[in-house]
Amino acid sequence: MKLNIEGLLVYFPYDYIYPEQYSYMLELKRTLDAKGHGVLEMPSGTGKTISLLSLIVAYQRAFPLEVTKLIYCSRTVPEIEKVVEELRKLMEFYTKETGESNNFLALALSSRKNLCIHPEVSSLRFGKEVDGKCHSLTASYVRAQHHSNPNLPVCRFYEEFDSVGRQVPLPAGIYNLDDLKAFGRRKGWCPYYLARYSILHANIVVYSYHYLLDPKIADLVSKELAKKSVVVFDEAHNIDNVCIDSMSVNITRRTLDRCQTNVDTLQNTIHKIKETDAAKLREEYRRLVEGLKEANVARETDIYLANPVLPDEILQEAVPGSIRTAEHFVGFMRRFLEYLKSRLRVQHVVQESAPQFLKDIFEKVCIDRKPLRFCAERLQSLLRTLEIADIADFSAVTLISNFATLVSTYSQGFTIIIEPFEDRTPTIANPVLHFSCMDPSIAIKPVFQRFQSVVITSGTLSPLDIYPRILDFRPVTMASFTMTLARTCLCPLIVGRGNDQVALSSKFETREDFAVIRNYGNLLLEMSAIVPDGIVAFFTSYVYMENIVASWYEQGILENIQRNKLIFIETQDAAETSMALEKYQEACENGRGAILLSVARGKVSEGIDFVHHYGRAVIMFGVPYVYTQSRILKARLEYLRDQFQIRENDFLTFDAMRHAAQCVGRAIRGKTDYGLMIFADKRYARADKRGKLPRWIQEHINDGSLNLTVDEAVQLSKHFLRQMAQPFRQEDQLGLSLLTLEQLESEEMLQKITQIAHQT
Amino acid sequence: MTSLSEEVLLVVKKVRQKKQDGTLYLMAERIAWGPEGKDRFTVSHLYADIRCQKISPDGKAKVQLQLVLHTGESTTFHFANESTALKDREAAKELLQQLLPKFKKKANKELEEKNRMLQEDPVLFQLYKDLVVSQVISAEEFWANRSGGINNTDPSPYNNKQEVGISGAFLADIRPQTDGCNGLRYNLTADIIESIFRTYPAVKQKYSENVPHNLTEKEFWTRFFQSHYFHRDRINTGTQDIFSECAKQDEKGLKTLVTQGVKNPLVDLQSLEDKTLDEGYGICTTQPSTSNANKSVKDSSNSAIIKRFNHHSAMVLAAGSRRGELASDQASETSSTDGNSRDSDFFQPPVKKVKLQEAIEFEDLQRENRPKTVPLNLKKSDRYAHGPVPLQSQQYTTSQDIINSVNYIRHEMASYKPSLTQVLSSTAATSAIAALSPGGVLMQGGAQQAINQMVPTEVQGELKHLYVAAGELLRHFWSCFPVNTLFLEEKVIKMKSNLERFQMTKLHPFKEKIQRQYLSTNVSF
Repeated sequence: MKLNIEGLLVYFPYDYIYPEQYSYMLELKRTLDAKGHGVLEMPSGTGKTISLLSLIVAYQRAFPLEVTKLIYCSRTVPEIEKVVEELRKLMEFYTKETGESNNFLALALSSRKNLCIHPEVSSLRFGKEVDGKCHSLTASYVRAQHHSNPNLPVCRFYEEFDSVGRQVPLPAGIYNLDDLKAFGRRKGWCPYYLARYSILHANIVVYSYHYLLDPKIADLVSKELAKKSVVVFDEAHNIDNVCIDSMSVNITRRTLDRCQTNVDTLQNTIHKIKETDAAKLREEYRRLVEGLKEANVARETDIYLANPVLPDEILQEAVPGSIRTAEHFVGFMRRFLEYLKSRLRVQHVVQESAPQFLKDIFEKVCIDRKPLRFCAERLQSLLRTLEIADIADFSAVTLISNFATLVSTYSQGFTIIIEPFEDRTPTIANPVLHFSCMDPSIAIKPVFQRFQSVVITSGTLSPLDIYPRILDFRPVTMASFTMTLARTCLCPLIVGRGNDQVALSSKFETREDFAVIRNYGNLLLEMSAIVPDGIVAFFTSYVYMENIVASWYEQGILENIQRNKLIFIETQDAAETSMALEKYQEACENGRGAILLSVARGKVSEGIDFVHHYGRAVIMFGVPYVYTQSRILKARLEYLRDQFQIRENDFLTFDAMRHAAQCVGRAIRGKTDYGLMIFADKRYARADKRGKLPRWIQEHINDGSLNLTVDEAVQLSKHFLRQMAQPFRQEDQLGLSLLTLEQLESEEMLQKITQIAHQT
Repeated sequence: MTSLSEEVLLVVKKVRQKKQDGTLYLMAERIAWGPEGKDRFTVSHLYADIRCQKISPDGKAKVQLQLVLHTGESTTFHFANESTALKDREAAKELLQQLLPKFKKKANKELEEKNRMLQEDPVLFQLYKDLVVSQVISAEEFWANRSGGINNTDPSPYNNKQEVGISGAFLADIRPQTDGCNGLRYNLTADIIESIFRTYPAVKQKYSENVPHNLTEKEFWTRFFQSHYFHRDRINTGTQDIFSECAKQDEKGLKTLVTQGVKNPLVDLQSLEDKTLDEGYGICTTQPSTSNANKSVKDSSNSAIIKRFNHHSAMVLAAGSRRGELASDQASETSSTDGNSRDSDFFQPPVKKVKLQEAIEFEDLQRENRPKTVPLNLKKSDRYAHGPVPLQSQQYTTSQDIINSVNYIRHEMASYKPSLTQVLSSTAATSAIAALSPGGVLMQGGAQQAINQMVPTEVQGELKHLYVAAGELLRHFWSCFPVNTLFLEEKVIKMKSNLERFQMTKLHPFKEKIQRQYLSTNVSF
């Protein structure tokens, strides 16, 4: 259908539209018009992605000079591929409607592991191995040596791409990861470098967060993307954690030991080179003296290690003299390493700021701030000069030098915590130095500054106002959309009591309480008897789940549950969990029914959807608070309080509730879907918790279902499930939650639609 | 009764049965008992017919052994030799214990087959009820004629029947009970054992390795329940446990399952993340080191439980849903291990494509593309349900026949002479006419079709069953002719008595019932 969104012609590749999709597009268009940033929350399963794509593509076509590129960031590889498939659908619709093939180029970019077609390299299992192997075949000096010695292996796909691929731009079209690989195979070009090269002139780029948020990668990949781009962060409810993760470093004794070997290897290599090819080192030195930032002209394939700090913080001056020669630099690293070792020999916990650390290092080993800041760059230059093939081996020394650069660059927003042992095992010495970023706005700031529109969107972003605060930006639109429903297909219930009136809660005091655990077990047991097909249950943490499962086992509850359904449990091993997940789906598929016990904040809760019969009920056991005893968290809370005036409790509750919402939201993936959402903790009834749930869940919690017993919940569920099991046809939705074009254009409906968006 | 010589494996004297002293013989294929002083067995059971044996508890005064047959009957032997009663019983029991399983398999299979036939064929089932359950003929005789059917029918149509899965909680059903003196009792049934074997092939293997050479069945299961394998939360202590190997095998199986990876890329958690942070970066990368050193015993037992549940569920699922596939699966698995990555590369895209398409589909946003179907609208559904009646074969008469008969009648009429001496009196004639006219005594039934409506359906049904049953018996009876062997002669005699019995037990009661209820109808069988 063709829509008119405030004067913009939007092609929408479906015959019907949800009212909230229309409303969402309206808000999005206003954001783009204002060239500002936006925060938009729309329930999962209401076609958020296709609305976004339809509108932005239409916008790009209408105003090709205003918006040149769409950068769509998503979290997981399947998500990325889904987006591209939806885009393909949209483009096919365009071709069908307009009768002409448009010259849009859209592609997905992912790591080498997902794109490599080199038979040997792509068979490696881990991303790091693939990267390292790729580098050893494509680094510029390897290729240079190949010229003189043709026996040296190089990657023929890269060679082919380098000699031919750059001249001809990738023909217009939609390229998913597999399409890129197929194209690469056909042409004999490396799909990874082809994709990286093509994103510069593509109209739409779909990749993961890290390519934009992690400075180590962003600098390589996304440096030259046009300013007039629209950036979309989908599934952005965890964006702050991604930002923080990309700037934080942990150093253990093992890291230091490995770093020590790295430094030794460096030294030996320098010695060797000095004997055979001293000119090379002299040349490097000469260039550094001349103030060339990088001693060699970096080639695309070499820039594997980039600066860990953000581009605007990188000093534009020559490397200081004290670390200019290779030996001096290695000596410098040794000193720094020794200092770190001495710091890890502490007996008690130390917490200090970056300036304190710098002061201490200056006093103890006379290391200045300035050379520290150049550490990362200097190491890169050295590694390149020494022609070290497998950079993966040097990850430890890279980590240390990155840390050096980070700690000397940022005086604010970071903290250093040295813990001599883990809290749970105070007898075992396992010292760790955490250098942790506390301010997510640091990493994302360049993105907001550089691109004209940044849209942050997800199914669960409530409360909306907290994101602009912790990410430190001014959005022009902030809206939360509800899900219009012809039938209430979600049923949130708060179970606060067991049948014996024991209050249910996962809070610390009652965590080990037998009665609570038993009642939780009862709840699951009763539900397993009445809910068809799949049930997913989430626990607040892995340890908590283990304990509960163990005591359910002892009490025989699990055996009783097994009479109704098979039980699968998430483990800490990803491969094992994947297998369990697949078996779980199989059991749901063949009608046996199954229960999946899983963990909030785990991989399952973040990446797996439980559509339709894969999840007819989600049970959230307890409130998934983050482990509050962690010093890093405490430091972060303190920082948030001081810098952003966000109270600790507010943030903790916000964090817990967004994860709870993520978990329960996994079951509803569309209007034809239905599912129970059971919050099994009496604390959910409190206004401060409930109020932080997304609006589309909140509005279906009625006052009667705030403090149910297990039995009452079972009764309500039975009723709900019986209703939902009735046939649900398209006609039932039409006019209410599903609109034809005529219905959409009616005055009355437009009136209604304005109420869907809830501005804050 | 038996002229054939059989191998006698065990003879136990002074065994009472129905308060009669006698001797118990255990032979190669059957167990038999004959009263003292006679050379005929009054009790004889094929091992295949025996479902299980039961023994009286040790403390009891009477030392008994009970055999329960598949038909539900049971025979009890009382070992009466005072001094060696217990020993005798044990000897018989041990021997039976070894013999029964051999026949059990065969018997079970046959029994299953019979059961299936009965369930699938209601007529046969009814016949079975009429003839066997009411003891007109024995089950053996009933099946004797059909056994050809059992073995010869092409099994293929039954193979695509849905497999019955395994209850996920079969281990829970073996709740231990305390037996009062510091011990636990587990009740195992054949079903549970079957479930255990199907779910845990490793146990089955152990069973076939050890029973009965090294262990008796009982010992085997006792050890099973004591083993750490059964109680996964207990940490393995002894290595002599024969099941420790099973655990290892399971572990291996689980590992291969895991390394095989998942087919659906959307649930593959490993490849979910696009760019994982390098080691050392990030906030909470410091995981507790995975070595077992600092893991408390409780932790590892907990994770063992979790592993166990995952494995158990996977095995139950596999046993239930892919029993047939399993063999071929493993075969293909072994053949494709070398080219694993290549293979997955080739086969993944279609699955992935389909899954992706499924994931982005919004079915309700699309107009239904299916060609519009016209719903079936029936004005008179019963007419639809009954349908046209097939033409009955009729006897047609040719025109020549008709002309002939007309001529014949004409001739008859022409030569008709009333014999006036034999005329009825007018009153008798009137009454006869009255009786024959509609509503008269002889015309009470009215037309033929009325009998359908007159007789209630149960009676009709019963009649039908009786008819079928009688037919079956007669079939048995006639199948004996020509009587040329001794066996057939015996059978004829038996069948005759069977027929008589059938008449006595079935037909007569029915006849009486009918007569009672429908006095007017003249019933004769």
